[in-house]
This record gives sequence, C-alpha cells and structure tokens, in this order.
Amino acid sequence: MRDETIREVEQFLYREARILDNRRFRDWLELLTDDVHYWMPIRSNLYPVNSKAISVLDGSRLEESEVSSDHDLALMDEDKDSLTRRIDRLDTGMAWAEDPPSRTRHIITNIEVEAGDSQDELRVYSNFFMYRTRAETEQDFYIGSREDVLRRVNGQLRVASRKIVLDQTVLLAKNLSNFF
Amino acid sequence: MVADLKGLVDIDQGLLSRRIFIEPDIYQQEMEQIFARCWLFLCHETQIPKPGDYFTTYMGEDPVLVVRDSGGRINAFLNVCAHRGNKLCRAESGNAASFICAYHGWAYSNDGKLQAVPNLKDAYYDDLDQSKWGLTPVAQMDTYNGLIFATFDPDAPPLDDYLGDVKWYLDVFFNRREGGVEVIGGVHKWMAPCNWKLPADNFCGDGYHTGWSHLSAVQSGFGGDFRVKTASAGGKSVATGNGHCILTLGPDDPSDPAVPEILDYEESIAAEVRKRMGPRLDLVKPHVGTLFPNFSMLRSVARVFRVWHPRGPDKTEIWNWVFVDKAAPPEVKEAFRIVALRAFGPGGGFEQDDMDNWQECTQTARGVVSRRYMSNISMGLGHESYDHDLMGWVSDYRLTENNHRHFYDRWAQVMASDSWANL
Repeated sequence: MRDETIREVEQFLYREARILDNRRFRDWLELLTDDVHYWMPIRSNLYPVNSKAISVLDGSRLEESEVSSDHDLALMDEDKDSLTRRIDRLDTGMAWAEDPPSRTRHIITNIEVEAGDSQDELRVYSNFFMYRTRAETEQDFYIGSREDVLRRVNGQLRVASRKIVLDQTVLLAKNLSNFF
Repeated sequence: MVADLKGLVDIDQGLLSRRIFIEPDIYQQEMEQIFARCWLFLCHETQIPKPGDYFTTYMGEDPVLVVRDSGGRINAFLNVCAHRGNKLCRAESGNAASFICAYHGWAYSNDGKLQAVPNLKDAYYDDLDQSKWGLTPVAQMDTYNGLIFATFDPDAPPLDDYLGDVKWYLDVFFNRREGGVEVIGGVHKWMAPCNWKLPADNFCGDGYHTGWSHLSAVQSGFGGDFRVKTASAGGKSVATGNGHCILTLGPDDPSDPAVPEILDYEESIAAEVRKRMGPRLDLVKPHVGTLFPNFSMLRSVARVFRVWHPRGPDKTEIWNWVFVDKAAPPEVKEAFRIVALRAFGPGGGFEQDDMDNWQECTQTARGVVSRRYMSNISMGLGHESYDHDLMGWVSDYRLTENNHRHFYDRWAQVMASDSWANL
C-alpha cells in the first residue's frame, strides 16, 4: 500500500473523529455512502475450543464465534436511513440520553490499510478508545476494534461499511447513545 | 427480618418510600425474601435445544447453570463448585458433557453429579461420598411456553399457581401460533446505575412515560412509522394478581412494529391468532408487562423480554432477548430482529433514554433528605375495579399507576411474610 494512501486514510479517520466529537452529526452522515452498513455485533464470553474446563458433548456448538453473526442480535445494525433517524432524534430536543449532551473523545489508533474487494475500495482496520463523560461525574470507556470498507466516491473517501467490535461482553455503560 | 418495613408502601394513598431504592438492608432483605423464594426466569428452551447445551445466568445474585443433560432433561444448579465455592462454569453458553472446576479439578456431569475428584485415592483415602457433593439444584424448576423458571424455595407454590391468571397474557406474547416462539441468537447485556425495581415497575405499565420520555423516538420513527395509524387511546392496565402486571392497548390500536414485512405478516395471521387466543383478544391487546419480581416483556415497537438482575441497591444488569414466532418466515424474523435492536437494545432509540431516568430516580435517593419524601404513584387511584373478563384489577383509563400499586403491594407482602400460606 502506498504511503500516500495510508496518510490519506489516517487523515480521513482523524477528521471523522473530530466531526463526531464536535457533534456535527449531519456532516458525519456525509462521510458515509448511501448504502452504508454500520454494524456493532455482540461479544460473548465463551470457552475456547481447546478449553479443558468442559468436556464437550456436541461439537457443533464449538463453531460458534464469540462475535455474533449477522443474523444474530447486535448492539447496532444500521443503514443510512436508520442512522439519519438517530440524528433526527437528537434534534428533537427530547433525546434525554443526550440532553445534556455527552462529551466524547474518539482516539483512533493502529490503522492498517489493505486493498479492498474492488479497485475503488480499501479495507481499513483500526482500534478505538471512545471516552464519554456526561452530566457531572458520569464516565464511560468504549474500547474496541473497527473494520471499515472505505470507498472512493467522486474522488473522496467515504465509509461504505463499518464493523465495530467492543471488547466488553456485558456493556458496562448504561447505554449507547454515541457513534463510533 | 432485618429492615423495618412499616410505612414504606402506602397503597391506599399511592405513596412509596424512596428508601426502598437505595438502602442496603432493604436490598439484602429483597435477596432473602424475594429472590431466594420467588419463581425467577432462567432462559428460553430454544437457547438450549440439544443435550449438553448450557446457559449461565443468575437468580438474584446467585450464579446459576442451566443445562440440558445427556438424556435431554433440563436442570438448573447453583453454578458453584461444591468443594470450595468457586464459580464452576465461566462461559455464558455452550455445550458440555461435564464441567471441571478451574481450582482443584472437581468434575461434574451435566446432570449435576460429582463425577471425578483428583487425588481421591491418595489424599482423600477413598473416603469422600461423591453422591453427597454434587451440584446444588434449584428447589423447583418448570416451564411455561418455553420460558424456563426456577425457585430456590421448596415451599413456593407450583409455577402454574404462581403465574395464575397472567398465563393467558403470556400466551399472547409467547404462544399465539403453533410452536410458540424462539429467541434470536445472542442476549443484550448491560449495566444500569439504577435499582432493579424502577425498570420492573416501568414495564408493569407505565404508559404515562411513553408520551414524553419516548416522544423523540416516536417522532423520528423508531420501530416503524407510528403515524400510519391513529391510536384510539384505548387500553387498560391489568393486574392479574401475585404482583404480575400487564398493560394493554385497545383492540383497534396499532400494536405492531409498523414496517411492511411485519404489518403484512400480522394481517396474514390475525384470524388464526384470534381463533387461538379467543374472544378476550377483542377486548384488549397485551402490550407490555412484568412478572413479579424481575421478568418483563414487550410486544409493540419491539418483541423483547427482559430480566432485571439486581446488582446491589443502585445497580441493575439488564439482559434483553428478542423473540419471534417460530412459524414466521425468515424475512419476518429478520424484520423483527432489526426493529428490536434499533428500538429496544442499549442503543435503541426508545431504550437509551430510559436508563437516565431510572438512574436519577435511584441516585437522588442517596440524599437522606430526598428519601424522606414519598414517591407519588397515585394516578387513577379509585378508578379501578376487578374485571372477570380480563381476569384482574383493571383501570378505567389506560394512563394509570394501578399496576405500579399492585406491584409494590405484592413487594411489601413478600418482603414481610415468611410463609407462602399468608401471601
């Protein structure tokens, strides 16, 4: 991968993070393709295949992944329309989870850029640390990884899909009212 | 009896002491009187379909292992090694013939029997009666509509009696078509800084908060476009006894997630469901409810059921399942999956606002002066009566705290009474 492309991707992700932290959510929507798939599966706490803590009776359950599949329950499974509704909701003046609003800080690291499935796409891996503080002393730490497909649309990078995997199994925050 | 319960719940005036949401001695008494005695929900049968399948959960703060043994029978045990009290199974689900404790290696078969003890011959001189050191089973376990319940109390009434007249309402949620329901894979789990009773009483039938707490979600179209049909503002709150509470909509109210796949599906099965459920369905549409103490369900903007696991006076671990009719076609199941997680998971357009309110109702009670004042649950007081058709204490109007009063009345009774005969 050319250094120039890597730098471009990094700058794109940093700019996106700044837009989210500045709560410019309509501008953020512009960074997503119209067919975006924005997905946060559930992380489960399972024994690994080689665990000696159990002796297995039916091996088929061992094929289960600790990250839920696309037909299982997810924390978020969104398209552009549903993301737009989430932002419409914030604009009603009655979205109590964000009123007063969260103060967020997205720290994006460990960025890797690979060729995508087509000429105009890139596969991008990154880690995130999203700190959320709200009201007086509330604070939450959302940490995990992202796997993005970035697509070049009219010369500009856009997010075509994003898989967000949180490291927590029981979410220790009371809710998910921010974007990643 | 530890806590002095006098004056905490005044049903006749609709007043509730805020001490019950924060004080540690009241919480401890709840663990003993309510969670160690009442029937509690464990999991749904479709989560453990095959021999060896297991699911780990909690009854109150006690860890519990639910497992289908090699013979196909469902059992539930304390998820605790009999040797030194270590947590036996640390995974949330899977399949096992046996479970081996991580501390010293005591091994239990999936029917709870102690199977193997390391160094039995040399260190124990072959002198340990393994039959006495199996896993501790729950006192009673039973199922209704695929929902598995258990109690630690051998004297608790049978599940059938404990549920009583709420069973028809449960049928509407979980058994309105042949085959009942199944759950979508995975459970939402998250931690809310609130007392467990606040969400439980909310799901009893707080129709009042919907129009304000959730107005943003309704206006921005979460769970489908509600503006496509006009609500008749019908519906009743129904307390069927034993603390179980259901809120219903009027028979002509929209009660399904308003997305095309679901509306078409509901229309296609309406006659079949009406035939199966009988004429009571012409009077009310069950919508949301709580089984005392901490199991709740919802079937309008999303089809979900819940457990509110107590985690101390001011913490609740919320578990959320999404359910669908087993007989529904795959595209309808997918539509229910999507609509549920977008509306009623921790990130749901409806749900994310609830936790804030339950949190602050709990946390303000930390103030000794704040908690001298009573909460007001008097809405609709005196405008309720027993309805034989609906099999419960029913409000005249859909907006009421009738169900809250019945829930807390039961709470006070179970907290105060040591005998089921007096309940």
